[in-house]
Amino acid sequence: MIDPYYLQQLAIGLSLGMTYALMAIGFTLIFGVLNVVNFAHGEVYTLGAFAGLVLISATAPPVFAVIFAALAIGALAGFSLERVAFKPFRRFTDEASLKSRAMRESTLLSSLAVSIVVREALEIVFGSQMRSVPFEYLINTPVRVGPVILVTGDFIIFGVAAAMLAGLQYLLTRTRIGLSIRAVSNNPLGAKYVGIDTDRTIIMTFVVGSMMGAAAGILTGLYYGAIFPAMGFVPGIKAFVAMVMGGLSSIPGAVICALILGISESMATTFVSSGWSDMVAYGFLILTLIFFPNGLFGARRERV
Amino acid sequence: MNVSDLSAPPRGQGVLIPLLLALLVFVGLPALLAGFDRGYFYQIANLALIFVLLSASMHLVTGVAGLLHLGHAAFYGVGAYTAALLSTKFGLGFTATLPLSGLVAALIAFLVALPTMRLVSIYFAVATLAIGQMLYLVMLNWVELTKGPNGIIVTKGLELFGFSLSGRLATYYTVAAVVTLCVLAIGRLSHSYYGNALRSIREDDQCADAMGVSTARLKMEAFTLSAFFAGVAGSLWAHMTGYISPGDFKFSESILILAMVVVGGLGSLPGAVIGALLLILLPEGLRAFGDFRNIMVGLVMFLSILLLPKGLLGEVSALQLARRQLGAAWRNTVKGEGIGWR
Repeated sequence: MIDPYYLQQLAIGLSLGMTYALMAIGFTLIFGVLNVVNFAHGEVYTLGAFAGLVLISATAPPVFAVIFAALAIGALAGFSLERVAFKPFRRFTDEASLKSRAMRESTLLSSLAVSIVVREALEIVFGSQMRSVPFEYLINTPVRVGPVILVTGDFIIFGVAAAMLAGLQYLLTRTRIGLSIRAVSNNPLGAKYVGIDTDRTIIMTFVVGSMMGAAAGILTGLYYGAIFPAMGFVPGIKAFVAMVMGGLSSIPGAVICALILGISESMATTFVSSGWSDMVAYGFLILTLIFFPNGLFGARRERV
Repeated sequence: MNVSDLSAPPRGQGVLIPLLLALLVFVGLPALLAGFDRGYFYQIANLALIFVLLSASMHLVTGVAGLLHLGHAAFYGVGAYTAALLSTKFGLGFTATLPLSGLVAALIAFLVALPTMRLVSIYFAVATLAIGQMLYLVMLNWVELTKGPNGIIVTKGLELFGFSLSGRLATYYTVAAVVTLCVLAIGRLSHSYYGNALRSIREDDQCADAMGVSTARLKMEAFTLSAFFAGVAGSLWAHMTGYISPGDFKFSESILILAMVVVGGLGSLPGAVIGALLLILLPEGLRAFGDFRNIMVGLVMFLSILLLPKGLLGEVSALQLARRQLGAAWRNTVKGEGIGWR
């Protein structure tokens, strides 16, 4: 018989992993389409959380309205992020420059710069301290399942994330926009030749990815009850690790690795203090980079 | 570039700019500082100099060798903690801790570089980010050694072989001398055949590999060297301020140093120096309007990538400048067959 404590850590790890998975999908989609890393993704997460917080303090909406507000802000953030930090550097549209190193590095730096500006602007507006979520919105009512005590948040996070993953799967495989996202990430130039509006597809990718990230932000905010401007940094890195482990542009790979990461992190807190548990993610990252440079689930790909 | 551009200007011009710069750093600025005589200005001047060294050392990896380094501040931190621990636990003075902290930072960089330096491009950037964060976590969580978030108070000030240099002006001169020497060394490294080999990695690492340049080894050397200089900067910082804590070495500091190199112009040493001065002095100058230091860094970085993709003083103009300064070496050719810097 397994100690119920471990089962409980497993459940917590799963819901933690689900938030990483939502974040990692944003990274993966954008990397697939543009072959660049979006360093401002962590700020989208923070913006989602703050959007929820502002709505909660302004009116007293039901929880689902809060999540929808976060999604809307996430979509807006993704759109403006693409326009501000990525579009100006996509001056040429041939494939060589779309996947060129100069383009990759300048957008990496510009998204980094935008993320600094957004985080600092949030600090100026809201202050750098943690802001607590009103008690009635916290999703941590204990629920007893057999020998294990969970909180409602675990179920809500798992449910919302699973629904969003299913929605994403539907979007990518069954709709026109999903088809064009897959086409552009497969071959940008070919997609352009067959008449796909690549520019619009890239915007849509950012919008979809950022909605996922913002949802992760508000869910985590409600779960832990603390929202602050720098909150996006650590989950951003974790999600990034999950993406690299999953093989950069493989969505199932990223989701599985995010879950592995979440579970191993929550298990690690059993053995070491929570300060050290971040080490798990970095350790995984280095090990993956050394032993599986293509990621655990990545197909063999062209060297980047 | 065409050959007539390469013909060296008359002698004498080569010493003018360095002489003026040396005058400014060692006579002009101290005179100004002594004139104002406020500890705050000394503090800013020293901070700016330390960041000049950090930015110059990152220039070696990110600018010359073209490897995006996202964990530089951690090696700066390793240097600072080495200096602080050596001086508090073993009573060593600045003269001993300065080289030792550089060496310890270089050693750690070498060890982490061993498995990771075969990575390229974005994988390299991610690996350095992870390494930087791991070192930061060690500084933050290994409470027995580093006292964690409380930081360490360093009681020993700057000194040289037992002579105390802890006065304001003496501190400034020490920092300025160390930084100048290190920047000169970095300058010679990046404007030599060695620097050209590093540039070949940046331009096309596969081609460089095929031509017989040992890219993994060169990357490792550049990474280790830059960590050495960052460690030296850390030791200066620890002895200068007398107090260090992990917050000084977190990810945002790495980004600040990266922003300095990018704003100044990737691949250009004068650019890295100018970028460091700009990003330290500008937010300080605007302090009257509130604490906008970090948002300023972000904005300046973004605007410079957007509007000045080559940086304030881009690599090409920096190389032309260097060629004028090192004109004699360039001219010194076999039967007029110039092949570049020796």
